[in-house]
Amino acid sequence: MLATIVDTEALWQTVVGAAVAGLGTTLVFSLAILGLARLAEANRQGRTVEASLFAALAALGLLATAGAVVFALIVMTSK
Amino acid sequence: MSEADLILGIVVATALAFDFTNGFHDTANVVATSISTRAMPPRIAVGYAAVLNFAGAFISLEVAATVANDVVDAVAITTTVIFAGLVGAIAWNLITWYFGLPSSSSHALIGGVVGATFVAAGADAIFGEGILGKVLIPAVLAPILAFVVGALAIVICYRTIGRQRPGPVSRGFRYGQILSGGLLALAHGTNDAQKTMGVITLALIANGSIASDAEVPTWVVVSAASAIALGTYSGGWRIIRTMGTRIIKMDPAQGFSAQGAGAAVILASSHFGYPLSTTQVIAGGVMGAGAGKRLSAVRWGVAGNIVSAWLLTLPAAALIGAGVYLFTDLFPGAVGPLLVSVAGVAAAAAAFARRIRRGVPVPA
Repeated sequence: MLATIVDTEALWQTVVGAAVAGLGTTLVFSLAILGLARLAEANRQGRTVEASLFAALAALGLLATAGAVVFALIVMTSK
Repeated sequence: MSEADLILGIVVATALAFDFTNGFHDTANVVATSISTRAMPPRIAVGYAAVLNFAGAFISLEVAATVANDVVDAVAITTTVIFAGLVGAIAWNLITWYFGLPSSSSHALIGGVVGATFVAAGADAIFGEGILGKVLIPAVLAPILAFVVGALAIVICYRTIGRQRPGPVSRGFRYGQILSGGLLALAHGTNDAQKTMGVITLALIANGSIASDAEVPTWVVVSAASAIALGTYSGGWRIIRTMGTRIIKMDPAQGFSAQGAGAAVILASSHFGYPLSTTQVIAGGVMGAGAGKRLSAVRWGVAGNIVSAWLLTLPAAALIGAGVYLFTDLFPGAVGPLLVSVAGVAAAAAAFARRIRRGVPVPA
């Protein structure tokens, strides 16, 4: 009865969309922070290879965060 | 100017006043987290939130369409009915503000319009399925979803970061909060300003000014966006003066998680046209980020307030909206709305003056 009244698909998409966006952005941004924190540490200790890897992790994390926000805005404005 | 146009003008002015008070009231919810973690100075945070509130009003019209088309039958009602609904919502907001009771402006708005429509046009003019599916169920689901996302997000933050030095980590999340706080302000503008756009569009349809299937006019979007942004900006100065006394202390990772959770839930809901109580969603995100770190950090009283607001707001605003309609219906044409407007402004001014003399409460 309730399923015929309520658009369960839209509700489900809202739940999944919010969870994926909220948790995904948090994960990639946390990885960026981890990369930046470890990069500083590796630089101080002169470990250049490790520093480059953490720099790449930080850059990827920041790019993914920016990409997630831009994607969300495109989805919002496209409907 | 005809009497119908005069009533329409009163409805538009009342709706924009409601929008302004919504922004004024909700500034604390939007900027408190950024300010308490020192991610942004108060003045910058308030200005930033106001600008993004304004921008947010332009990114979607789904919520406005829900309010205009899925709650009551726009063709079966008059502008006086919408006026009565708006007064019901504003009156309930003022009553709850005066007595410090929990409330939701969004639920009050829907309740007021439904109550006035019920006495004016009967139960057939109320779309029960739309209210249940697009208002009531999302209203219950959204704060719970924000709580869960906020709780999981803070766990992800702490697990990912591990035992790094706190200085760079906190600095990083403070920068992150510029983004998450901005998204939250954008989301708030999107969902809340659209409710006013929906009500004004409903009034324009009821007045015969636009067709029932017409899009929300641009001037409605711009005026609603401006009203909520001005309200947010004005409300902020009061918050700045009282900073540091009532706002919960959080670390920047918690602030980032709470704001991210709130923004994600509000934006996803706005995309599907669900008019939410943004205050309750933000509170859900903040509580979730607190619970994810330490369960005892949760202020369960806030959760109790949310449940009370769910139970009280819709019926109370509906009763006031119905009462206001019955009163305005006693008088011919625009006389009723004019009398109610004058009495309403006088009552609001008296309540403000009395409350300020007793000490102004700060929104939690």
